[in-house]
Amino acid sequence: MASRYFFRSTSRTSLVLALLSVAACAGNGQGLDANGQPLAAGSSGSLPPLSADFASIQANIFTPICSVCHIGGGAPEGLRLDAADSFNLLVGVPSTEVPSLMRVKPGDPANSYIIQKLEGHAAVGAQMPFGCPSTQPCLTPTTIAFIAQWITDGAPPPAAAATVHAAAPLAVTAIVPDDAEPVSESPPQIMVAFNRDLDVTQIDSRSMHIEKIVPGESSASTLVSEVVPARVSVSSSNLRALMVWPSRPLVSGHYRLVINAGAPTQVSDMQGNALALGAPSESGESVISNFDVEVRP
Amino acid sequence: MIQRLTLAALLALVALLRAVPAEAEPYLAVMTGYKCDVCHINPTGGGMRNDFGVTYAKVLLPAETVDNVLDSWTGKITDRLRFGGDLRTDWSRDTTPNTPSQQAFALEQFRVYGDFTIIPEKLGIYVDEQIAPNGSTNEEAYVRYGNTNEGLYLKAGQFYLPFGWRLQDQTAFVREVTGISMTTPDKGIELGYEHSAWSAQFDVTNGSANATTGSGYQIVSQVVYTKSLWRLGLAGSDEVSSAGDRRMTGLFAGLRTGPIAWLAEGDLVHDDSLERSEVAGLLEADWRVLKGHNLKLTAEYMDPDRAVRNNQQTRYSFVYEYTPIPFLQLRAGYRHYFGIPQSNSQNQQLTFFELHGYY
Repeated sequence: MASRYFFRSTSRTSLVLALLSVAACAGNGQGLDANGQPLAAGSSGSLPPLSADFASIQANIFTPICSVCHIGGGAPEGLRLDAADSFNLLVGVPSTEVPSLMRVKPGDPANSYIIQKLEGHAAVGAQMPFGCPSTQPCLTPTTIAFIAQWITDGAPPPAAAATVHAAAPLAVTAIVPDDAEPVSESPPQIMVAFNRDLDVTQIDSRSMHIEKIVPGESSASTLVSEVVPARVSVSSSNLRALMVWPSRPLVSGHYRLVINAGAPTQVSDMQGNALALGAPSESGESVISNFDVEVRP
Repeated sequence: MIQRLTLAALLALVALLRAVPAEAEPYLAVMTGYKCDVCHINPTGGGMRNDFGVTYAKVLLPAETVDNVLDSWTGKITDRLRFGGDLRTDWSRDTTPNTPSQQAFALEQFRVYGDFTIIPEKLGIYVDEQIAPNGSTNEEAYVRYGNTNEGLYLKAGQFYLPFGWRLQDQTAFVREVTGISMTTPDKGIELGYEHSAWSAQFDVTNGSANATTGSGYQIVSQVVYTKSLWRLGLAGSDEVSSAGDRRMTGLFAGLRTGPIAWLAEGDLVHDDSLERSEVAGLLEADWRVLKGHNLKLTAEYMDPDRAVRNNQQTRYSFVYEYTPIPFLQLRAGYRHYFGIPQSNSQNQQLTFFELHGYY
């Protein structure tokens, strides 16, 4: 009896001690901004007030709320909403759940899928933030109104990002699909995101093409079995999002996306800076993406 | 007399089911020493309860049993067809620094489950559908082949992934950091193995980043060794997507010391695209104060980026669960988040009262 009492008493004491032992581990936040990221030089670290511009929406909504889940390799629907990716994966990009709707359609919040998801009347899936749990309630109508107003204003990119990127060379920031990963069905389009606005006058269907290939031991021994005609366009609502639309569904096989060497135009930004690429092949072409299609019957 | 007969029948059922591997809601599983499939249709736990799970909910879980009225209720409509459901509604108050407090009544979830056994212990179809809020959403729908109580089985369709403790609180740090919870089912196949004290699963699915695009895949595997007083589990996941690989490792354990069931889990997540490693930990103690009364204390830890200093977060919860009669539970709780002082959302407090009905 005494041992049982001792055992129970010890259990209760250990319960309190064990739980307290994990306590007091929260960070003190020194050197971090309000979203827990290291402070940039000269930054105060305080959040800008919520307003109808992208930088404010990113700092107040997308980063602290959405990117808890929508980040990195596990981001639902491939939609990454961290500061580095969100604009390019939102504006002018078709949603994956309802491809007929753009995630953000500049000037048209009612037909922007993000608004439908936040308001809870999208045709597919749960309201965002996912299911609106008590710890992360649905965004208030006032908060959503700021996002809607930004879209109504044409969904302009963040001014700060444009300043930062101005010094960087034009580069690809994301390609979907990419990296020799199997795609289970023919992708309706290949999306290439850039770090700066593209000069649309320099881009047409001669800029890029899709090749069906038979991989060799090296890039030099890779055989091109077919060139797939494709339409190339830049989203009018997001000059950093380039879409390559195959003229027909891609059958199973290995593919690559190639920037044409002999094209009269080249992918460049508004200042005329050409896309920075790796070493081209002997023909002068540069492969920017490899992907496999494995169409399931 | 009726109570004694019911108890005798229950003990006989326990003895029968102990011969095969069995489990329940995590703390109940640890407290009883059962495996998940003792109480749930789904061998990895959660969702619809089986005959024993319903009997446990009627007789052993509540403070008071109800005679006669529920004796014949097991959720079975016919020998082959079974239904179940789960409804949670609550009032909560969210207090966040520098922000007006919010309070609201909410319907957290209403789910219905259905299970159709086509060939007993060999072939069946299972469905878990969330009816409300926000319209109908399919959570699980799969075909299972094989005996989920012993030996190998195969699931194909949409289901929850096996990774760590399948907690009731989907907002726990370990569930948010891994992205695997009972709100994030995935489509694919699962090969499972149940034998004696061992449970193992091997899943190949689309991966959350590839749900619609079809690009990439996710592999999840888990092994659990269960004894009457303790259990130990190891889980791993590798998700390949166009954004980059995401790898996760989890170690979780349960221990019973007297009236207290302990649950612990530690997860390490590495995201190639972000070049970021995250860590999350959970320590939970469930103290069965009296029959029908449970005090749940949790302490949680999260480091959202190991390369960044001073950004860790913790969370503490105090929840009292009272089950007065079968199939009805009242819960009251308080959670306090601690994070960096400049973030309001990382320092919120939540108070809630919940009514939980299930059948």
